[in-house]
Amino acid sequence: MSIIQTKDVKKWFGDFQALKGISMDVAEGEVLVICGPSGSGKSTFIRCINRLEQHQEGQIIVDGIELTNDLKNIEAIRSEVGMVFQSFNLFPHLTVMQNITLAQIWVRKKNRAEAEEKAMELLERVGIPEQAQKFPGQLSGGQQQRVAIARALAMEPKIMLFDEPTSALDPEMIKEVLDVMKELAQSGMTMIVVTHEMGFAKEVADRVMLFDEGQLVEENTPEEFFNNPESDRTKLFLSQIL
Amino acid sequence: MVDLIKKNAKSLQESLFSSVGSAALTIATTYLVINFFRGMLGFALTSDKDWLAVLNNMQLYMVQAYPEEDFIRVWLSVGLTFVLAGLSIGIWRSDDRVKSSQVFNSFFKGGLGVLFFTIIAPTNSSFMGNDGSVITEEVFSMETRLGILIPVAIFCVIFFSIRFININFTVNSSDMVFFYLFIPVALLWFIKLPTIQLDQNNERIIPDPVMPIADTTKIPWTVIFVSFLASYFIGMYLKNIKSIKSIMSLSWFLLPLLIFSWIFKKPQIDMSVVLGSDLPIFGAFLLWGFLVITFVNNSIFKKYYSTYLGLTFLLTLVGVFSGLPMLAKTCLLLIALFSVVVPAVSTSSQGKRSLLIVWAVALVTLTFLLRGGASDTGIVVPGSSIFGGFSLTWLLAIFGTYVSFPLGVLLALGRNSKLPIIRIVCTGIIELTRSVPYITWLFFASVTLAVFLPAGVEFNLIVRVLMVTAFFSGAYFAENIRGGLQSIPKGQYEAADAIGMSPFQKISLIIMPQALRAVIPTLVSSAITAFKDSSLVTIIGLFDFLTIGKTVIGNQSIPVNFVGHDRENLIFVAIVYWIFTFTLSRRSMKVEKKLGLGER
Repeated sequence: MSIIQTKDVKKWFGDFQALKGISMDVAEGEVLVICGPSGSGKSTFIRCINRLEQHQEGQIIVDGIELTNDLKNIEAIRSEVGMVFQSFNLFPHLTVMQNITLAQIWVRKKNRAEAEEKAMELLERVGIPEQAQKFPGQLSGGQQQRVAIARALAMEPKIMLFDEPTSALDPEMIKEVLDVMKELAQSGMTMIVVTHEMGFAKEVADRVMLFDEGQLVEENTPEEFFNNPESDRTKLFLSQIL
Repeated sequence: MVDLIKKNAKSLQESLFSSVGSAALTIATTYLVINFFRGMLGFALTSDKDWLAVLNNMQLYMVQAYPEEDFIRVWLSVGLTFVLAGLSIGIWRSDDRVKSSQVFNSFFKGGLGVLFFTIIAPTNSSFMGNDGSVITEEVFSMETRLGILIPVAIFCVIFFSIRFININFTVNSSDMVFFYLFIPVALLWFIKLPTIQLDQNNERIIPDPVMPIADTTKIPWTVIFVSFLASYFIGMYLKNIKSIKSIMSLSWFLLPLLIFSWIFKKPQIDMSVVLGSDLPIFGAFLLWGFLVITFVNNSIFKKYYSTYLGLTFLLTLVGVFSGLPMLAKTCLLLIALFSVVVPAVSTSSQGKRSLLIVWAVALVTLTFLLRGGASDTGIVVPGSSIFGGFSLTWLLAIFGTYVSFPLGVLLALGRNSKLPIIRIVCTGIIELTRSVPYITWLFFASVTLAVFLPAGVEFNLIVRVLMVTAFFSGAYFAENIRGGLQSIPKGQYEAADAIGMSPFQKISLIIMPQALRAVIPTLVSSAITAFKDSSLVTIIGLFDFLTIGKTVIGNQSIPVNFVGHDRENLIFVAIVYWIFTFTLSRRSMKVEKKLGLGER
């Protein structure tokens, strides 16, 4: 059963058409990697899934709920979908612990002790329990991104969206974030990952997609995608980045 | 010890005498500073200055002509504020500890300051006598100088050398507040001040006899200090009660309203109006708000919500121009605005409950303000204005900031709103209030505002001044806060959205805290400006702190002639203003430092 369904999703920024009709399904527990050149609409697409961007045509159904202008639907979907950003977007005025417990307390209405217990559990899972009382500004980029993953997981989402999670990191910090993501994938989380980390795609993805100029160019298993791509555009893309 | 002095001397040399230019600058500045203070001290100490003009008029400075039999109201207000402060300090007791060495060091530095002034004070000073001749006299004799110098020097040496003895303890920084308050209160019982006494011919007896401070001053302050201490311990005890912090915040919100009515009114409430009109209106609107909150998620009601909104606004428009009681009109306006907010805020049952509390508090406040604020005062005072002096300055500053700050937050958010009506209205209010001088607004309050109010509603001049002050400084606050809002990156909004926060939670938990801490310096300077600008109310006939010193005491001839002694009073007023604004800016620097933790 597919947990995300999109049908012919189109989106314009002014005159510029960013998405030219994307139709796809994501099954529960699947790890989907989306790659493509800059400006191909891949980030825009996953931002449409939790309504950070509004699509103008087509249909997006997440976990049986269609995304419309209805604020209630949007809030329902957002609490089911976790998101990790390229620039972390941690709340700088709150400690790591508060960053992770905030939404649990205010959105999920948990009590503080419960929320903190959950937060410690998650910080251990991403490997930085000792940083709980620090502020985001005192952490390295890799640590911040792991906190951001923990913050998203604290809402117990069914789906995790990753918007270029490693692009703003130093090379030696990429691995620590990818390790957390791999562990997450193995635990059966449904994930959509926009990334340029082809190693991660090869190793973890169930499916790989290539976006170009707002269109879905190729959709394939990782083996086929890397070894035996169907379209010429994919070949060109792979030749440029590998 | 020698090492320490050497080290300090070396760092002094490096920072002040590093080059010829900087040495010259250091010497020139030192010369100027010393001469400035020398001149000031010489001016203050000559025998033609009558500092009793200040000391003898403290009551006038504090409350102007407020009737003496009602002083208990003022004392109770001050006491209530201190009790609430004590509770809050107890509840929010910080874990920061101050080292003993820091405390001793501040004593040492304070002593050094006294030494400095004692040493530089001039022995002789001159002033112009009544006949125009220059009179030179000894103002600071060697005996007096040594009498101060020696004990203070010993004091300094003790607190300097105490660091070489191993005394190490720490004091909770919240506890220090009591220490600072304890010193002045204890001093009240020990010091004696010169007092003016008149003989049977109403002539001043010279020299002025030295008398202890009046019981009517020291007993209330002692009681206040003790209740402050008691409420501190009660606060520590109450610390762990759930939602005590919200209750305290609410009390702080309601306190000025209470004090306001307490000081201005003797309860003269017409019960027939309260029971026959106010209470039914209050109940009806409470029910209305309750129904809206309860059924907001009902599918049928939701479907016709925009129709309901339209009808409410139409009703409000008709109601405002009809002959309804003022309370009903204002409540209509409030319910219309409230109905816009409800669907955006309420999702969970908990959200609904807190929304209902907000609604009830808003209604209570409004009813109270309209009934209390608009009714006649029962307090009769000599002269045209009800009270003045420092109380008025303080009221304008505190109440002005207190109303205008939330107003500023709302206006700033409104100006950034996506809804065009709200944006246009807020921008209009900000631009209108900012583009007219404050003095013009004061005249508006004193002369014109009454025309805009419906017949039968009459606010005291001070209340009207507070109204325009709230809008005036609110507009400045709004622009400052808007600057802070613009410094928040878009990613923060997106991150809050992505974890499912409602718009209200997003603004109050993520955006506002960051925006406000970005603009603390400008907010504080706006607050300081508002505090000082309150002295402008003198032009519409109110007697603020400055006016008392400059005009009232400067022209006082009964029972003692103080005509021509306004310079002493002006210096006193300036020092008091300086103490308050300087404390405010120091506190804000500390807050800034504390809140800046996450920015590094």
